[in-house]
Amino acid sequence: MQEGGWAEVKTLNRIASVLLVESTILCLIASYLLINNSHSFANIQSTATLVIFNVLFVSLMFQLNGSLNRKLCLLTLGNVIGLCWNFIFNYFDVAGTISFGENFNILYMVFFPFLSSLWIVSFWSLSLTILHHDSSVHRKFNL
Amino acid sequence: MIIEALEILFLFLTAIMIAYLVRHYVFTLTVLRSANKKPSSPADLTFEPTVSILVPAFNEEKVIGRLLSRIANFTYPKEKLQVIVINDASSDQTGKIIDEYKNTYPFIDVLNRDRSNGRRGKASAMNHGFSKCTGEILLCFDADYYPQKDIVERLVKEFVDPKVGAVQGRVVVLNEPQNIVTRLVALERIGGYRVDQEARDILGLIAQFGGTVGGFRSSVLKSLHGWDASVLAEDTDLTFRVYLAGHKIRYCVDAECYEEAVDNWKSYWRQRYRWAKGHMQCFFKHSWSVLKSENLNAKEKIDGLMLLSVYFMPILALLSLLVGLPLIFLGSPLVGALWVSVPISLYSFVGNFAPFFEVGVGLYLDGRTRTQWLIPLLIFTFFFNIPLCLKAFFDVLGSKILGKDKNVWVKTTHSGNGNCYIES
Repeated sequence: MQEGGWAEVKTLNRIASVLLVESTILCLIASYLLINNSHSFANIQSTATLVIFNVLFVSLMFQLNGSLNRKLCLLTLGNVIGLCWNFIFNYFDVAGTISFGENFNILYMVFFPFLSSLWIVSFWSLSLTILHHDSSVHRKFNL
Repeated sequence: MIIEALEILFLFLTAIMIAYLVRHYVFTLTVLRSANKKPSSPADLTFEPTVSILVPAFNEEKVIGRLLSRIANFTYPKEKLQVIVINDASSDQTGKIIDEYKNTYPFIDVLNRDRSNGRRGKASAMNHGFSKCTGEILLCFDADYYPQKDIVERLVKEFVDPKVGAVQGRVVVLNEPQNIVTRLVALERIGGYRVDQEARDILGLIAQFGGTVGGFRSSVLKSLHGWDASVLAEDTDLTFRVYLAGHKIRYCVDAECYEEAVDNWKSYWRQRYRWAKGHMQCFFKHSWSVLKSENLNAKEKIDGLMLLSVYFMPILALLSLLVGLPLIFLGSPLVGALWVSVPISLYSFVGNFAPFFEVGVGLYLDGRTRTQWLIPLLIFTFFFNIPLCLKAFFDVLGSKILGKDKNVWVKTTHSGNGNCYIES
């Protein structure tokens, strides 16, 4: 590729990186502002789970092999999944509270972090597969 | 008043759990960073002291031949090797198999214990074997293990440093593909040995002697009067006695030994219950000594106390759930914010108590690609560990109150299922 072509690829990569970081930040803000619940800490919990996911992902996954954009893509995807997960369960809680009363809301508060940990752990594990050592093969016994 | 008390208790419990999480997070970061650096120059391999190997065996007919055959092929000079197999009053063909090897290889010796002095647990058998050892270095292997051919060289090289009193190698599960239990045990082992132990070694904390695939400088073990048969976790007990005496333990991640992991939940329960109870006994035995020791620095003391109390964590996690629930119902905003940390912490106290991210990074460093998908299932081993640790806790507490510390060594049965993975 010509020198000018490489420069274009680099610029596109930078733009993609910036867009992905912005999307991640937007997901975090949205999880706090858009989730409404009669219990004030519903949105705090939603944001806290995303923050935990982001801290673990950025500090650990970013040290593994793979391009920066691939990692940023996974990070943004994780945030989008987390946001959707929070929204879906929030509306499930709203529907449940209308049908079954306030006790359902309290049950939701109790179980929400446990449900959230499911997607965090699962997504984190799947991301490891994508970022595995490019040069490595399956571990064999070193007999 | 009650709410405030519950809030303080909840805060305290969450703080402990978060402290453990941070500890393992630091471990994971440390190992990741050291993996990105160039490996250090190899140690002096011309160091060849005399070595005694102890192999305790009680009804191990399905696996003992595999280990002795491998020992016979060790690359370490045979004239510097002494192998003592302790036949702990076996009632199967173990004695016959050992005799066959003894008659073929002059450096293999057998120590037969009968019913009158045998079957009193591993520590008792090891002490008996140790009394016959002549080597400068003593290594131990369980009968179900399958070491690398050059494992002696890899372990022994650490003793070049006179401060090193003991050494520990890496345990890898041999029969991992057998079923879901062995796969989950393999995940625990990877978290524990690929990340946890290595990080402790790098950071200069308390590297743990695991009872097998490791060894001691004989003079150090002699000064400590060998194994203590009164505790079930004789390995953890020795770990702390070595450190309290002013020596260090090194961990060699490249000295691998393959174990036949427990392959059903019943065996898992028995093995982990023994570990949990033994660990708790060590907590009561060593905590105070660790705190006031002059041979340990501050970070070793903190790590030592956290290591000693690790089997209390499933109980504390359960307690935090029980305390947090009424507070949520009462609408405590403090608990609402911290409640998120509870399930994440639960994932940290599974099996060998390595958090999911630590296990994941261990798998990554091992070059594994699909095993990571099993990590969410580790939550089942956590739920298994709650009643297990509770029972161990109440048993230890009961024995402390009643003054009767009765230890029954329940041996892990080995089926020989790992053999097919070596042959293939």
